[in-house]
Amino acid sequence: MKPVRISSPAAIMPAENTLKPAPRLILKSQLDDMALLWPWVEALAVEYAIPSATLFGVHLCLEEAISNVIRHGYRGQPGNTITVDCASPAPRELFFTVEDQAPPFDPVTASLIEDEPVSSPADYLRPGGRGILLMRSFAGTLAYQRLAAGNRLTIGFALPADRLPSNPG
Amino acid sequence: MELSTHQMDGGVTRVDLDGRMDIAGAASVDLKMNLIAGSANKLLIDLQKVTFLGSMGLRSIVLPARAVRSRGGKVVLFAPNEMVEAVLKTSGIDALVPVHHDLAAAIAALQ
Repeated sequence: MKPVRISSPAAIMPAENTLKPAPRLILKSQLDDMALLWPWVEALAVEYAIPSATLFGVHLCLEEAISNVIRHGYRGQPGNTITVDCASPAPRELFFTVEDQAPPFDPVTASLIEDEPVSSPADYLRPGGRGILLMRSFAGTLAYQRLAAGNRLTIGFALPADRLPSNPG
Repeated sequence: MELSTHQMDGGVTRVDLDGRMDIAGAASVDLKMNLIAGSANKLLIDLQKVTFLGSMGLRSIVLPARAVRSRGGKVVLFAPNEMVEAVLKTSGIDALVPVHHDLAAAIAALQ
């Protein structure tokens, strides 16, 4: 896979110890750094010929997962990182792995906030808010793994068989 | 993220949003949305040109909508694309702020 063009090339490096190099995005634990997410996702969309509806889901799930880590996992403290890897182990599969070193938090099984009205300001800012609900709804698959020091969330999407890869090599 | 406002007949304030309502986009319109919500009583939020909506973007819509409603005003959302509407429905926001795809119906709902 060719390197992804992005405004901050230093934020991307090949994944280590994998047979097929996968693109990697490394973000600092600050919301400003999330400006790097869309250009990266957009470049992957070209690389993997991701349909627009799937691309929407990819962007949504990654934004919710990463911002959740920054705001709640790291509690807004700078100086930490979030690593996002993209891999397509099969032609119709696309996986994103989000890793952090924050305290354990499993968005797959976490209880959703259901006792507050949808207009509650807190509803959007607390763990278990609308972000997790959206992630669960728009991801094809979600899998959580607690690491020795951190968390790994794997988000999967199915790709249609009839799409035409723009870069088959 | 671009935001523009237009005053329509019948005292309707129309807010046109254009771009991605991601974290950065939401932050760029929050202040303007709050200012608009502070004075509008009939607010039509045009989502035709919104290409992405995340939870922080939802917040940028819901909180101003709540402010308008708390003063007895009305708010409607107009013409979201299919994926943006899916976000609205998944979040249950469409129960708080009705979604219309016909402009005349949207305006009528504000009267």
